[in-house]
Parts: sequence; C-alpha cells; structure tokens
Amino acid sequence: MSDKPKLLAISSPGGHWIQLNRLSAELENRYQVVYAMPAALFTSTSLSERKVYAVTDVSADDKWRLIPCALQVLYILVKERPKAILSTGAAPGAVAIWLGSLLGIRTIWVDSIANVKQISRAGRLAKKRADVFLTQWEHLSNGEDILFKGAVL
Amino acid sequence: MIFVAVGTQFPFDRLIRVVDEWAAQHEVAGMAQIAGGEYLPQRLQWERFMTTAVFNQHLQAADLIISHAGMGNIITALEHRKPIIVMNRQHALGEHRNDHQLDGLAWMGQLPGVYTASTQDELYALLARRHELQVTPLAADARRQALVDFIDQAIRR
Repeated sequence: MSDKPKLLAISSPGGHWIQLNRLSAELENRYQVVYAMPAALFTSTSLSERKVYAVTDVSADDKWRLIPCALQVLYILVKERPKAILSTGAAPGAVAIWLGSLLGIRTIWVDSIANVKQISRAGRLAKKRADVFLTQWEHLSNGEDILFKGAVL
Repeated sequence: MIFVAVGTQFPFDRLIRVVDEWAAQHEVAGMAQIAGGEYLPQRLQWERFMTTAVFNQHLQAADLIISHAGMGNIITALEHRKPIIVMNRQHALGEHRNDHQLDGLAWMGQLPGVYTASTQDELYALLARRHELQVTPLAADARRQALVDFIDQAIRR
C-alpha cells in the first residue's frame, strides 16, 4: 500500500471533481491517491475510504480567497509530499500546480472537457507551470505544450 | 418522475421555471435542485443543494434528467444510464461568467443519451417526446483509458 507512489488529486467541486474521479479511479491501483477539494458537501459516495482534504474555494469572483487556499494547499503538499499532482481545474488546481512546481513536484493539468472552444482561464494560468498540460479536445492541442491524449468521455 | 438540476455554482431560474410550469401542465411529478434561485417551484418538490448521495437517489428515481449544460450532471446521468436534456446558461442573461455552455452544446448533443435545447421551445419539443429519449451504456472507455495511461506514464516519466 504505502510503497505505491503518492498522487495528489485536486479540483473544484461539481463537474471538475466528477471528471477528476473518472481519471483517479483508474489510478488508485497504481498510486496512493490523496484528494483535495473545496467543500465536503458534494463528495462521492465512496469517499469514506479515501483521504480527502478540504480547501477554501476560489474563483474569479473572490480572488482574496487565494491566500487561505494557497496556505492550505501548501500545508497538504508539505505534509503529504506527493510525487505528482493531478488537477482538472479550476482555480484551486491552478494554485496547486504553481505551488507544486515551486516544490519540485511533477504537475499534470487536464483541462475540463467543458472547454471546447478554448483552454479555460485557470488552465491558462496553470499552463505556465505545469510539467504536462492536456486538453480533452484534439483541435485545441498544438502537439507541443498542449497535448491531446484522450478524454473522460 | 423527472429530476431537474442546475449545479451548485449559480442559480438558473429560467430553466427551473419552464420545467416547473411544464410539469404543472402535464401533471408530472419530480424534484428540482435549484441552488440559490429565487423562483420556487410550485409543482415540483425542490431543494437548493444536495449531498452527492441524495442527489444520486433523486437521479435514480427519475426517468428523465433535465439540467444546465454542465459536465458533472451529464457524466453522472450517463453513468446511471438516464437520458438527460441539457439547456445552456446564457452569459447575456447573467446566468454564467461566459458562454462556454453554449460552445459545448453541439458536441454534448452527439453523446448518446444527451439531448440539447437552447430555448424553451426546443426544451418543450423534447419533453413532448420524452418517452422516446433513449440512453445507451457509455461506450467502451477507450478514450478515458488512453488518457489515464498517458497520465500514468507522465507521472513515472
């Protein structure tokens, strides 16, 4: 169990979280997955067996929350020391990508499948730091720093 | 039974109102998840927010899901093999921060079991033939598996 590498999976609630779970469910047999997301209300039913940290939500409408959110994410990263971070968005995931990259943790961003026309706003922020940046739309990929390798649906 | 759900981020009174009015006209029962909406359903039962467990119970009990065009509800409906009608929020009406739900509508409608409406008329046309709306099991997960395997390799590098 503990010899598996540790992965931090972090996203906003709602659609981002459901997409994250469709990916992380498959990764749980290969990694020790630790989760983080804002609010405990909209959690999955199988959550009881999982380790989930709550973080402060942040969006374009309430940027001041970046500070508590960043402190909480930093605490999780220092405590858990994950080998990698995986996020499907939105802002809390971008925060984790930035902090993770500063700490030398491997960072992977999967932009939400809801973003068909362009990369999401949080994605554009994460892209500056993410080691691997994935879109779920082939037409948004440039084959260089924005890759298409599949989708949750 | 119908289940109408607008997600957790913003209200979507326009959708809740037209579905509630339709349900009253057609004497259809159901549940509405209305977030911070001001319009309170007269015909449908309603809750503002639900835990995932309660949400899934209502989804299971329904024959048809009606939703804002959000990915979470689409994926959850398809995983439970329920047909879903989605209507996009409109930025111009203050229903979202941008029009990405409209951008996504065309491809969402290509998913088996997902039906799209951008106006009340289109929604009512779909509701009129609600017994024909079909869902097939999610297609073989090749796209998801490919993405998961790539992520796995990317972590291990």
